[in-house]
Amino acid sequence: MATIDWNLIEKQTATLAETLLNGFVKQAVNDARDFKQRAEKQIAEWLVDLAKGDITRKNFASLVRGERDLAEMHLLKQEGLSKVTLDTFTGGFIEIVLNAALAAIP
Amino acid sequence: MSKHIINPMRISLLLLLGVFTGCSTIATYDQEAYKNATSLKVDTLVVMSKANEALSSHSSEVAKLTIALDKAYEYDRNRPLNDITVKMWDKLRNPNGDLLGGFLREWKEDGPMLPKYVQHKKQQISEGFDTIIQLESGKMKPAEAEKKL
Repeated sequence: MATIDWNLIEKQTATLAETLLNGFVKQAVNDARDFKQRAEKQIAEWLVDLAKGDITRKNFASLVRGERDLAEMHLLKQEGLSKVTLDTFTGGFIEIVLNAALAAIP
Repeated sequence: MSKHIINPMRISLLLLLGVFTGCSTIATYDQEAYKNATSLKVDTLVVMSKANEALSSHSSEVAKLTIALDKAYEYDRNRPLNDITVKMWDKLRNPNGDLLGGFLREWKEDGPMLPKYVQHKKQQISEGFDTIIQLESGKMKPAEAEKKL
């Protein structure tokens, strides 16, 4: 009699979720850390340029506001990549279930 | 032990599950969109390098760049499930913001810019393009998406 191994489905789904989510979280954290470090370094550099008269106060203000816009673009990127992860998970989940179902057909 | 007998009801449920979970939440990778963003990044940085001179000397290059940006934007705007990329373009192109749109407006209104400022803005705007490029290249390839269905 044909049976589906639900234990195997559960196990494989958990592994898939763990792998995808860990990868995504690690990437997002690294990305945020890199952005913060780069922004801090750049702002320090702009302050030196401002003091030397290489850029104006207006330039400095625009650069700082630009960094905020850039941070928003990074957030949007992460939002998009999280959706890709979700789609990859659902695709993998369907594959796991279908494979288990097909394997159960005598 | 949780092995269960296959029956038509269970198969129907699995198919329904497949239909439901098979719905994508974001557009797949698009080679043309990727090419648009990467080549526009290069073109933009070349044009920006000239911002320490009067805009009037480079008005045709700026106009050409603006048209190319508009075309890339329209291309992405008409792709289904692509609202996040469109929001990123909006952020980059916004004339009232402080990335590319704001830079071009500033050049037009205030005239030539200080070289150091141009250099820093180029870095910033280059990174803005990179976020769009990285999202596009991170999207699922169409072949993978088809496999999913």
